[in-house]
Amino acid sequence: MIELRNAGKTYQQGSREVRALRDVSFVINKGEFLSIMGPSGSGKSTLLNLMGGLDQPTSGEVFIDSRPLHGITDNELTLIRRRRVGYIFQFFNLLPLLTAEENVGLPLLLDGLPFSEVKPRAAALLDKVGLKERAEHRPEQLSGGEMQRVAIARALITGPAVILADEPTGNLDSHTSEEIFLLLKSLNDQGQTIVMVTHDPKAAAYGSRIITLKDGAPDQDIVIGGDNP
Amino acid sequence: MNLANLLRHVSLKHVRLQKAQLVMAMAGICLGVAAMVAIDLANRSVLCSFEDSINHITGRATLQITGAESGFPEAMLERVQNVAGVEYAVPVIEATASLSGGRQRALMILGIDVLQDHQIRDYSITDESADIPDPLLFLARRDSILLTRTMAAQEGIDIDQQIEMQTVAGLRTFQVRGLLNPAGPARVAGGDIAVMDIYAAQMAFGKEGRIDRIDVSLLPGENFDTMQERIRQVLPAGYSIDTPAARTRQVEVLLSRFRKSMGFISCMALFVGMYLIYNTVSITVVQRRKEIGILRALGASRAEIFRLFLTETLLIAAVASLLGAGLGYIFARATVDLVAQSVSDMYLRTSVTELAFSWRAVLGNGATGVLASLTAAILPALAGTRLTPASAIRSLPYSAESSLLGRKIKIASALSLLAAVVIFAVFESAEPASAVRSLGVIMASAIFLLLGISLCTPLLLRRIVPLCHGALAACFGAQGRLAGLNLQKNVSRNGVAVAAILCSIALFVSSANAISSVRRSMFDWIDSIIRADILVSTGHPLATGGSPTIPMPGDMQQEMEKVAGVLSVEPFRKGYLNYEGKKVLLEIFDVARRLEYCPAMITQGSREDMLRLPGRDNIVVNEGFAVKHAIKPGDTIVLPTPAGPVPFGVTAIVVSYTSDSGAIWMDVTTYRRHWQDQLVDTFEVLVQPGRDIAAAREAILARFGGERRLFALPAAEFKVEVQKMLDRSFVLTNAVNILTLIIAGLGIIITLLASVLERTREIGILRGIGMQKNQVSAVVIIESILIGAAGGALGIATGVLIGWIELEGVFRLDFGASITYHLHYGAMAWAMLLAAGLSAMAGLYPAQRAAATNIVEALTYE
Repeated sequence: MIELRNAGKTYQQGSREVRALRDVSFVINKGEFLSIMGPSGSGKSTLLNLMGGLDQPTSGEVFIDSRPLHGITDNELTLIRRRRVGYIFQFFNLLPLLTAEENVGLPLLLDGLPFSEVKPRAAALLDKVGLKERAEHRPEQLSGGEMQRVAIARALITGPAVILADEPTGNLDSHTSEEIFLLLKSLNDQGQTIVMVTHDPKAAAYGSRIITLKDGAPDQDIVIGGDNP
Repeated sequence: MNLANLLRHVSLKHVRLQKAQLVMAMAGICLGVAAMVAIDLANRSVLCSFEDSINHITGRATLQITGAESGFPEAMLERVQNVAGVEYAVPVIEATASLSGGRQRALMILGIDVLQDHQIRDYSITDESADIPDPLLFLARRDSILLTRTMAAQEGIDIDQQIEMQTVAGLRTFQVRGLLNPAGPARVAGGDIAVMDIYAAQMAFGKEGRIDRIDVSLLPGENFDTMQERIRQVLPAGYSIDTPAARTRQVEVLLSRFRKSMGFISCMALFVGMYLIYNTVSITVVQRRKEIGILRALGASRAEIFRLFLTETLLIAAVASLLGAGLGYIFARATVDLVAQSVSDMYLRTSVTELAFSWRAVLGNGATGVLASLTAAILPALAGTRLTPASAIRSLPYSAESSLLGRKIKIASALSLLAAVVIFAVFESAEPASAVRSLGVIMASAIFLLLGISLCTPLLLRRIVPLCHGALAACFGAQGRLAGLNLQKNVSRNGVAVAAILCSIALFVSSANAISSVRRSMFDWIDSIIRADILVSTGHPLATGGSPTIPMPGDMQQEMEKVAGVLSVEPFRKGYLNYEGKKVLLEIFDVARRLEYCPAMITQGSREDMLRLPGRDNIVVNEGFAVKHAIKPGDTIVLPTPAGPVPFGVTAIVVSYTSDSGAIWMDVTTYRRHWQDQLVDTFEVLVQPGRDIAAAREAILARFGGERRLFALPAAEFKVEVQKMLDRSFVLTNAVNILTLIIAGLGIIITLLASVLERTREIGILRGIGMQKNQVSAVVIIESILIGAAGGALGIATGVLIGWIELEGVFRLDFGASITYHLHYGAMAWAMLLAAGLSAMAGLYPAQRAAATNIVEALTYE
């Protein structure tokens, strides 16, 4: 599904060179729920960005469905992001001007589908995440948990190969966080591959596998039973 | 399709929620396009009015033969009529007269051969005199005249009524024998035209035995070129044989400098408008950077983001340009009289009766507005595509700062400045007659200079603003310090607003300095050349302005010299002649007598050379003419006279600002000998020492008032008239300059508004820790004034340079080296006040928005 071979990422910070990731290699299989853990600055988000095609490695290789994410044009990478990856962010990243329904349908709208076709699919996903009644609401009219559910529905709308979640509950209270984890878990149970970055061991335990990062490199790779904590 | 989705679901929502910003960006483009459309339509209207006059007067004539402006012997008519291939050749007298009653309306007199003229022109007569079968035949009576129905209705004149008109022969009474329908020649000059028999016209306008023009129609199948050649062979050299279209082109060439300079200032309005669009799109990109990041993360490509911003600009610019075209039409209606007046003052008398609407002008300028907007949007739109999704989403520092302070901008700025210098150097080193010495080239130099300085504005701000922190804190306390820091924080964006102010102030200052230089040089010259106490003419003493000047017989000079208190009287006559295909002003006066009291400003040659003019075939030319035609004292040039071309020796070069197309001075005896024209346009009267000028003036009016209506202007009043004329000719320039200032002001509002919106959280914190609302407002207004002051100071410096370039390249080319550059310190001080004041006003709305920030919302704002 996703494969990293000696992937590395180096940033230039002023005159200083910062190695955010170094020689990362592992494979994520279809249907896995991988939690990536590590302290701040360990390279979790950078790793997620490489897997999602938001950023490109400065060394090594990244594959999604055996297709390389490195050495391809920006347009090809863009199409992969649009059709093969669903992204969930810590701060939701919904467009404040759009309604919940429009936000969910945005990737399909970007693909050129008419809104009349997008609308029922967005409505169905909003129903699935329990927000059927909030379709016409704008982000400012939704609670944090509701915004993250909209973001999850948006991530699902293209039927992506993988959902990448970057601290999806970092901005939510514990009760709402649990609801979101359960939602992600149920999606995984239906066969959806999920990669989640978190620094919370309790949250990581929702996954079937945990990789911990330290100083930009994998420290531990643990496969767990997959039972709820 | 996805672009359509983005426009519908994303862009449209921004339009709904950010109306103020949108309206201001649109207003900028709208005003820029409006200025271009208005000036274009007004210019076209003036030209169309000339073209219409030429076409209506021409009728079916395919060739027109003209000689010297004072007319040529009527014996030439028979020669032309006998040329094989000529169908009809009819004589024409064209003169100006004015009604003596009412508003002393000016009208064009068309003197025609009543028996033949219908072969060329159609006259449709509505009302006929009760006692005549054929009004055209009846015109053969010397007092007969045909008026247009339009003018008769406006003046309340009936058929068979007697009217009094000012003619060369004085006040004369004519009887209206018929009224012309508004068709053919009767449509000329909005109906201000009258038709007389040619013989009567010759008598009334001092052209006995002479005609002004021969209109020729050709037999079917005859070729223009062959016929031109055949006619040329039977006429002495120096006659022009043109098609009506060629005559229109001559007018077009004469007005080309005026039209180009008007076009240039209107383009400048759009140029400043482009800054506004650049600024708006830049700000939009910054404000929507997170949105761009999300869209990119969700799979929008760089090209789609680029297309999205360009399409948004396209739509906004299209609507704004459309509105601008409409507004331009309204502006054109309001300014067309002003443009016509300027053309009358400076070139040829014209009156525009209707606006020449042209879809091409409207759509062409509208399209220019859209193209200019798209061009301005390209760079910021590209900056939007450069954002990486990861950094945009995480709100990492925006890289626009580096984009405007980067190496490429420094190089572009340096190259623009270099281009300005090189173009100017090439212009200066080119031969006077070279195509390089054109208005377009000098304008290119000015535009590159403006662009070069504009581009380095952010760099200058980055260097200068830190130096001012101490002073700002000392003057305005914490608010001043914060305002300075804010300005420094966003040098790129503020730099664009400063550049917009810079451009408009530079234009304002350069115009003011160039105008001031021309005006002072001109007044010095007038002081030196006019030593008469009273100027006597039948119309406005500035021949083409105001009421028309109808020449007076030369023998009035002796009569006037007998008037009590008059010491001496000098005749002055002026007219245009064709020299190497261009109209050149010929000024005729008594050189020897004028030199007795007037130190003519001689640049090459001497007084003795000037004194060699009377009675000999010698002339003096002005600097402009000498430069354009590469003439020096001692050269001989051939001028067309009614009797054919005559070689004239150039004895000296003098300063004369009367015409930008070149001026020739000739002694009155030489002129009369060759032109056989005894008429005079103005008598310059010197009053005996110790005698009262007002009394002499009254005495002159009393002596001649019964014969003709006279203007007897004391020289002091004449100078005031010149000043008014000059001011009139610059009214439009000033109007467009103010428009560009308004556009620049809109730029400041947009910049500050965006800055306030972006700093919501910061403002919330400041309010939270105890900053008062008025202190918040003060920070924004001080910031705005700083932008204005920076733009003002840089604009003044740039304006001084551009004014000098304008003077060197434009005015010196036309008027010679004697024009010196005078800085208009008053205008420069005004410019600074205007820049700072306008900026303070522009800051009011953003300041109000900043003060109204909700502290709780701002602090919870993510």
